[in-house]
Amino acid sequence: MALFYLVLGVVFGFILSRSGAADYNYIQSMFLFTSFQLYGIIGTAVALTAPGIWLIKRYGRTALGKPISIELKPQHRGNVVGGALFGIGWSMCGMCPGPIFVNIGEGKVYAVAALAGALAGAGLFGAIYTRVQGYFRLPRLAVGTGDG
Amino acid sequence: MPLILHQLMPIHWAVAGAGIAAVTLALLFIANRRLGISTGLEDVCSFVLPAPYFARDAVRSARQWRLPFIVGLVLGGFLSAVLGGGFAPTWDLGMFDQVIGFGHPGKLAWMFVGGLFIGFGTRLAGGCTSGHGIFGLSNFEFPSLVSTLSFMAAGVLTTQLVYRVIF
Repeated sequence: MALFYLVLGVVFGFILSRSGAADYNYIQSMFLFTSFQLYGIIGTAVALTAPGIWLIKRYGRTALGKPISIELKPQHRGNVVGGALFGIGWSMCGMCPGPIFVNIGEGKVYAVAALAGALAGAGLFGAIYTRVQGYFRLPRLAVGTGDG
Repeated sequence: MPLILHQLMPIHWAVAGAGIAAVTLALLFIANRRLGISTGLEDVCSFVLPAPYFARDAVRSARQWRLPFIVGLVLGGFLSAVLGGGFAPTWDLGMFDQVIGFGHPGKLAWMFVGGLFIGFGTRLAGGCTSGHGIFGLSNFEFPSLVSTLSFMAAGVLTTQLVYRVIF
């Protein structure tokens, strides 16, 4: 299965690379409202994924016959605050997490610094989780803040 | 507008969106996995950091798919560069170079700080553009709608502030 995930990652990475989703200028143009490209990409992806998920859940099983189970993300104050912090970072870097890896593959040197920062930020969050857990009403650790 | 990468013209947004949907649905239908990339940051942290947060079940059970997927993302970018004109390390950052400038050390510092916001923010929000924005919205999850509206709004505010006010 590892090869399957690797191939899907390559396809996903190639699409992000060639569509503008991993391009600094296109990300800024999205936030400046001067290009429709990224809104079109995300909108199309959601418009096609939504009925797909609905059909797969209705079918109830994977192609290999196992039951479908989707872990839902918990709701808490972190959604708003964390989302806002992430938005600042997305704007500054012109990359969200997937495109950080894609940009490194493309040879963008500065993307390595973005990855180092992202790992440090995630590490910091993990280190102070129990201290901010109460304020943000985060779930207990068996669940974490969810996949994603 | 051409991409920074070899000044290539991007593929049509509808094609890119359909491709992303295909990958997302293949992950779910074949492997019972929900798309999500920012948790992969935790997978990497979990190798070196002992905090209980990185030892929880959600991280351990998903490592087997996220790590190869992330390696695939890097390879996908590499393949795109090679097929699009060759792989060569570059510092090109488009608008940033024209409007903000700095130099290489400044650019690295800017990226590191931005990365901190990305790493901390996505973990606090419980997801990023893929897990909340693509999968969560498509699955009609309310926390994903809240998170997506929040990071889109913050992105708009930050870019407007940086490019229309400060620089």
